[in-house]
Amino acid sequence: MTRESGETEQAGVQPPSTARVLAQLTRPVLRALPVRGLAATAAVALLIAALPRLLSDEPDQWSALIALRAAALTFALGLAFVLDDPARDLTSSVPTRRILRTTLRVALVAPFAAAWWTAAVLLIPSKIRPPVGDMTLEAAAAAVLSLAAAAAALRFTAEPEPGQRVAAGFLVIALVSPLALPNDWGMYVSPTEKQWGVGHDHWAMVLVGAVAVWAACGPEPVRRRRLIPT
Amino acid sequence: MTTTVSAAGLSLRYGLTTALDDVSLRLTEGVTGLLGPNGAGKTTLLRVLATAVPADEGTFTVLGHDPRTPAGRQETRRVLGYLPQTPGFHPDFSAFDFVDYVAILKELTDRTARHNEVRRVLAEVDLSDVRGKRIKKLSGGMRQRVALAAALVGDPGFLVLDEPTVGLDPEQRMRFRELIARAGEGRTVLLSTHQTEDVAMLCHRVVVMAAGRVRFDGTPAELTARAAGRVWSSSERDPNAKAGWRTGLGVFRNVGDPPPGAELVEPTLEDGYLLTLDGMHAEATA
Repeated sequence: MTRESGETEQAGVQPPSTARVLAQLTRPVLRALPVRGLAATAAVALLIAALPRLLSDEPDQWSALIALRAAALTFALGLAFVLDDPARDLTSSVPTRRILRTTLRVALVAPFAAAWWTAAVLLIPSKIRPPVGDMTLEAAAAAVLSLAAAAAALRFTAEPEPGQRVAAGFLVIALVSPLALPNDWGMYVSPTEKQWGVGHDHWAMVLVGAVAVWAACGPEPVRRRRLIPT
Repeated sequence: MTTTVSAAGLSLRYGLTTALDDVSLRLTEGVTGLLGPNGAGKTTLLRVLATAVPADEGTFTVLGHDPRTPAGRQETRRVLGYLPQTPGFHPDFSAFDFVDYVAILKELTDRTARHNEVRRVLAEVDLSDVRGKRIKKLSGGMRQRVALAAALVGDPGFLVLDEPTVGLDPEQRMRFRELIARAGEGRTVLLSTHQTEDVAMLCHRVVVMAAGRVRFDGTPAELTARAAGRVWSSSERDPNAKAGWRTGLGVFRNVGDPPPGAELVEPTLEDGYLLTLDGMHAEATA
């Protein structure tokens, strides 16, 4: 049963199911997504993935690995804008929970992201293509980390469009981490090196951590929690 | 009159800054004005009452709903409309599409009933003619009315308006006053503003805040009465006046403690407001 104009809970009308609200929200949320920005970063990322093929007749494995990692990073930077919502303040007091709205946004982007990744992988010649499963894990970790950072920005700031700052921070971390992380973590090694397996255990941990951050930052708090009592 | 919104002991801190300090108030049907200087805590109070941000301490209820649990907050949100200070929009949406989007977020899922409701609120804010126009092509005043329509959709019993007339030209402000007055019929409206004329013309009650605390809570007439016998005119600016300025008639209007034999004039709400804030400063420096 849906709420008619002017009717409220006090009139004893049951609110509609979440599924029904989500079904109605799909079209406007799709329109509200930063589609142009996402499409532009996806196009640039595909171009990066195609570079080994474009620049050399016989590209090597190393250039393919670098290109695929750079493409995944570029696409993840675009994902930092997915949760940007200029109408955040105006819609901060609606009964539809923020986590449902952000999850819907991500769910709408997910098929596009999967198609994009498939295209990026296929742009790498099969002879020099790094292990697809492991590379998919890296790309997924980068993507979820970017979304989790955006969710954290929404949770802890009042900024309606934190995408730019999140992307900038994410880029800095991505550039610094190969230099800062211990070598034996093996997160940026090539498939021929023995730490490849250990490295991907770490990538899996990053993915799980990012999912946990996302899950923790999604719901709106009903009480403020202070680390230091004032 | 029946209390519709009641708050007790609301406090909120941002780091070392106390934004709300033990705020208690009771609202009834009609328009209540919230006055205060910048940084007084008006927006924070409105955001707390609109459930956009939780308070550190204190309780409040809106039309009988307590937002301290996720379920209670949802119930509260079902009966409130919120117009923030700087409402943002999806600029490529039309006015109709945007209000329709907010209506879905307010759980109006029956398409036909929802569209009727969106048309109703757009008509209420006089935007029927431009409802198909993209928001980015609308003027500032029209955008503000789109935001008001979004707040009104679903006919909420409690409406929170944060400086809705800021940046509007005089004609638009007059129009907005009409809208707010209409919105206050049969519902509780809390209106934050810097415009004392808005309060004088619209509100049956006024709350003055400063430094996170409620400094005055009463009728506009009572606030004005605080300045009775404390406003006078003179040919020169009185150096002992708390505030004084030359009027268009060429005489000085002074507010404060008048000298003996001063020519007293009728006070305004603004005079009462200024003296209330001045009294607070005097307390702080004593």
